Amino acid sequence: MSESPWEIVIGLEVHVQLRTRTKVFASAPWGFGEEPNEQVDPVVLGLPGTLPVVNRVAVEQAILFGLVVEATIPERCAWDRKNYFYPDNPKNYQLTQKDFPVTLGGQVEIELPGPSRNVMGEHKMIRLHHAHLEEDVGKLSHSGSGSLVDYNRAGVPLLEIVTEPDLRSAAEAAAFLNALVTMLTQAGVADCDMEKGQLRCDANVSVRRRGDTQLGTRTETKNLNSISGVRDCIQYEAARQIRELEEGRKITQETRGWNAVNARGYVLRDKEDAHDYRYFPDPDIPTLKIARATVERLQKLVPERPFHRQRRYMEKLGLPYTVTSVLIADKALADWFEAAAAAYPQNPSGIANWVANDLLRDLSAATSAPDAFSEPSVAKVSLVDCRIKPAQLAGLVKITDEGVISKQQAKEVFAEMFRTGQDAGEIVNAKGLRQNSDAGELEKIIQEVIADPAVAKSIAEYRAGNEKAINALKGPIMKRTQGKANPAMIDQLLRKHLG
Amino acid sequence: MAKGFDIDHLAKLARLQLSAEEKALYSNQLSQVLTYFETLARADLPPAANVAQVIEESALRADIPGQSLGVEAVTKIAPASRDGQISVPRVVDDES
Repeated sequence: MSESPWEIVIGLEVHVQLRTRTKVFASAPWGFGEEPNEQVDPVVLGLPGTLPVVNRVAVEQAILFGLVVEATIPERCAWDRKNYFYPDNPKNYQLTQKDFPVTLGGQVEIELPGPSRNVMGEHKMIRLHHAHLEEDVGKLSHSGSGSLVDYNRAGVPLLEIVTEPDLRSAAEAAAFLNALVTMLTQAGVADCDMEKGQLRCDANVSVRRRGDTQLGTRTETKNLNSISGVRDCIQYEAARQIRELEEGRKITQETRGWNAVNARGYVLRDKEDAHDYRYFPDPDIPTLKIARATVERLQKLVPERPFHRQRRYMEKLGLPYTVTSVLIADKALADWFEAAAAAYPQNPSGIANWVANDLLRDLSAATSAPDAFSEPSVAKVSLVDCRIKPAQLAGLVKITDEGVISKQQAKEVFAEMFRTGQDAGEIVNAKGLRQNSDAGELEKIIQEVIADPAVAKSIAEYRAGNEKAINALKGPIMKRTQGKANPAMIDQLLRKHLG
Repeated sequence: MAKGFDIDHLAKLARLQLSAEEKALYSNQLSQVLTYFETLARADLPPAANVAQVIEESALRADIPGQSLGVEAVTKIAPASRDGQISVPRVVDDES
């Protein structure tokens, strides 16, 4: 692909519902799938005489996110009122953080698609501007001449994560969201189920001539609710802006919507004064001082960053890239692998292959449909119900490495372990699978097989120098041992007898 | 137009329909209010911290669910409702 003379510049605002039981300023519970307006209390509605009180867990989740992305946690954060009149908002203002957000700066490492699935793509750091803790708004549905309002979502803790304009393509934006979701879910900060609207995104897009240092006029497309939606919308919007500029028109700074069904963007009816939100500090919620002790306590909960883990697997354990990308996508799976590798440190690659291929495949088959958000490459699986324990898999790899069972037999043993949760050794004994390493008995069988006139030709060829001819003898031997013979030992004994 | 504000813009934000007389009246009154702030700003006061009150984390709320009002109570205080939802005039900002 020849390089376009245009450069696309993208910044994202990602809204994530934090994992809490109650709302951010009210003790009303929240959760997906309740009947409309069942999760509403007087504080959510902003009824006279009510006062918001900040949810400790929501604040701590926001700080934990900041620590995960290596942001600065300021000494203080504060809330402001963003005033606007719209029925999704029962109080006529939304509580948000304008000047003193809960986290400042930070960065997210992303990986761009590589030249093939087996090859690592380019890595890039995307800087964050800040993240602020605000309340979600109610949900509107339009029917006929009127609109209906459900306030269950109003007041749900929402972390708005704002990037710097560091993204340069739709693919980078998608990679950023994937990386962000992995970090948020692995830290337990949020579930990010896009199907349930737990992660929504606004995309700021502009284009400029390659080499220009000034940013072009940008548009903001609101409320994208899937990663593919973000990708498609950015491609569409960048192409539209380039076309406008090439045809000599100017870009209007505007707010846009995205129709995912027909893959088209459109101008939102503005509201030209809606941008005047008349922010002011909320008088009901005093400025919050964030204790350094809290930050230190939460720092201990920060999980190893996925790409850090991947580099460690590749460099220290010698695992291939493809396997590591499967493991790091799921923290529970990676933790499981590490427990198994600790139980048998001699062969981490062998263990990783079992985990990333056989275990994952059988778990996916055993659990129901993958989580709606997951990209097809990584099925979310439940290890909680897995009957095989890490040390048991280590045991299987160990007896395979020691030649007690063949690789083919190991597959059979694994299937049985997955079904019953028994140790590999127990299954091997119970099924009589032990590879026959008794040289005496094997020697007798070999003598009988090579005495058979049917193989005389092969023996002659082998003796004449055709190395491959020896393989024709191995089949009948294996058959007579019912597959229990150790192939290495057959080879060794055959050569001795034919030698 | 009065100094520092645009009465038409303010009226629009506040969803007020003002007659020409009202605009003149309120512009004048608002100007007086703003001028008074200039008087206040000239007062010779000792420096003060920007923040009036700061709370510690101990003032935060535990994440323990409380009572909801219930859909009947919520819809009862709304001017109109349907199927457990609050009914409002049609608002549209999607593609039309």
